[in-house]
Amino acid sequence: MWMCDPAILMRRVLFTVLLLWPKIAFLKNKTILSPFKGDKIETKQDVALSRQGGKMKLKTMLLGMIAGTAFVASGHAMADTSDKRIALSNNYAGNSWRQAMLESWEKVTSEAVSNGTVAAADAFTTSENQATEQAAQIQNMILQGYDAIVVNAASPTAINGAVKEACDAGIIVVSFDGIVTEPCAWRIAVDFRQMGRDQVKYLENRHPDGGNLLEIRGLAGVFVDDEISAGIHEEVARTNFKIVGSVHGDWAQDVAQKAVAGILPSLPDITAVVTQGGDGYGAAQAIHAANRPTPTIIMGNRQDELQWWSEQKAANGYETTSLSIAPGVSTLAFWVAQQILDGSDVAKDLTVPFLRVDQDTLEEILAQTPAGSVANQEYSLDDAKNLIKSTN
Amino acid sequence: MNMLTRNNRLQIAKRGFKDLVGAMLRKPWIWAYLAAGITYLATLLVVSIGGGAWALLYAALTFASFAVIVGVGQMFVITLGPGNVDLSIPATMTLAGTLALKFMETDGALVLPGLLIALGVGLACGLFNFSLILLLRIPPIIATLSSSFLFQSLAIWSNRGLRIKPPQILADFTTGGTFGIPNAALVALLVSILAWFVLEKAIVGRWISAAGQNSRAARLGGVPVNAVRFGVYLSCAVLAGFTGFMLANFSGGANLNMGAEYMLMSIAVVVIGGSSIAGGNSNVPGIWAAALFMFLIVSMLNSYGFGAGVRLILTGMIIVSVVALASKRGHKI
Repeated sequence: MWMCDPAILMRRVLFTVLLLWPKIAFLKNKTILSPFKGDKIETKQDVALSRQGGKMKLKTMLLGMIAGTAFVASGHAMADTSDKRIALSNNYAGNSWRQAMLESWEKVTSEAVSNGTVAAADAFTTSENQATEQAAQIQNMILQGYDAIVVNAASPTAINGAVKEACDAGIIVVSFDGIVTEPCAWRIAVDFRQMGRDQVKYLENRHPDGGNLLEIRGLAGVFVDDEISAGIHEEVARTNFKIVGSVHGDWAQDVAQKAVAGILPSLPDITAVVTQGGDGYGAAQAIHAANRPTPTIIMGNRQDELQWWSEQKAANGYETTSLSIAPGVSTLAFWVAQQILDGSDVAKDLTVPFLRVDQDTLEEILAQTPAGSVANQEYSLDDAKNLIKSTN
Repeated sequence: MNMLTRNNRLQIAKRGFKDLVGAMLRKPWIWAYLAAGITYLATLLVVSIGGGAWALLYAALTFASFAVIVGVGQMFVITLGPGNVDLSIPATMTLAGTLALKFMETDGALVLPGLLIALGVGLACGLFNFSLILLLRIPPIIATLSSSFLFQSLAIWSNRGLRIKPPQILADFTTGGTFGIPNAALVALLVSILAWFVLEKAIVGRWISAAGQNSRAARLGGVPVNAVRFGVYLSCAVLAGFTGFMLANFSGGANLNMGAEYMLMSIAVVVIGGSSIAGGNSNVPGIWAAALFMFLIVSMLNSYGFGAGVRLILTGMIIVSVVALASKRGHKI
């Protein structure tokens, strides 16, 4: 575990050192500098740019040579991707889902690189979850000459400019999970609305008479949150259920726990809790602390949620369901990018399936999920091919 | 005769009451208590179940206590004067919680070493922050922000976002209560009494305020300003580490983003509590009121079923008005 992802760490250490550079220089030179001299952003970009400038010349030469060979070798029916370089532009790494996503990427792509399917598949994560920073990161990737960029975007629209630049430079851009609206990019989207509908459909089967629902939403103002919630409300309108309370849990157990504890005193008895993932265990704890009977809480595939569920199941036959997207969707995006580079005709909009855990599959999936992580599934080249075929 | 004494007594009582009200109104923290009280009552209007009033207060006390502990640390830092703020609190919390829980690995026998690790991590983070501030003379905002990148990365590196469960005994302690009062609140009360004593009764508290009001004058007056700052940044980080430990045990595991909301929360409770954002003037009771208020306001707006947009706007507006009232009636700078 300790050897995991030194790339992010190095980036941050480098960033910090750059930030502190004027001061370190100050110690060395013993000259007086104002603390703000050598603005951090300027320094960072200058260094990055000058470095890239040097690299670029070599790279263009190399690329020219490679392009030449590829042209000569293109007598084959399929273009070869063994010289192609793919980059992952990721906007956030601060939760278990994103960590599992990066881990899956690492696992699948390192294999693809070592057996020569692609030349490189490097993952980059911005240090702060900001669209401007990610746009700059994508511009760097363009300069670095990647052939394809796989992106989990901080915003569906804010990095469109950078994505367009990449497309114009002839780079394939595949967005997943956090998709971009720029038409030139591919989208591997999740039908979040369906995720909301499916939850209510399951509950309808469990509680045909309906009842009171508590809704835990995600992060206010984020597209995903609006979509899942819209799906839930759409479906609830059709049934006997009634949403009696709604809180924002920010997809985090501790925030959800706090929000639910705050609203519980004002709520009547609740039959079920609809969630968005990462918040079910927190809700269970808050409800337990308030000495209320445990409602049917829809889970979001986190290991602690599944663990809690299996404990309840063993103790009193508790039943629920759990659904979320597998973090391994990053690997699906990787294979789709590879297929596009390979010359396949791929529709611009693809949809990934959910990973669902049911009463019967609970033990099996729980056993495969590392403690504290998220239920995961890595995708293979064949999965990508099937997905592409199904939409064409 | 009889009438006279009674009148006198009445007058004295009246005057005493007036004085009391006057004295109370001059306290900068009274507005935060009023706001918390009103919010509480307003929430009770929609509480439907029996015993809901106490349940709400219980929940508020529980969740406020985490904000109180980090808030106390942040308050000392802010007291040091303009530009002093610790932005590395969330990262320190995460790192301390992560490393301590990783070390304990749900083993109840390792509770004490686990706690010491959390405090030690806090201490180390504080030392690092202060060395950036003093030795490299980086402004505290930039220093603590950049060190928070390091702390956060270390937390990611050490555990890759995996949630490790706390030992059962600690989970039971932090989520449980004694004599009907949440244990977390009792711990926070202990911390705040200690902080109150340091701030109001000990010479160190005078030094901190003096350094915050005018650091040059304080230095000339013989206050060891740098030693004071050293102690303040260190204790702030230690309190953050301690909160991270408590919170991780409370919420069933350390999260990479568990401290995120305490960045603004720690500053908000200090300001709403009536401490001067310009430094030099602080109080501990206000932090409790502000922390309760911050929890209750969200509960109230949730209970009334407002949408997220309205909720955020109202939260912002109410906070601004409380701060405006408190700073107008409170102390003059």
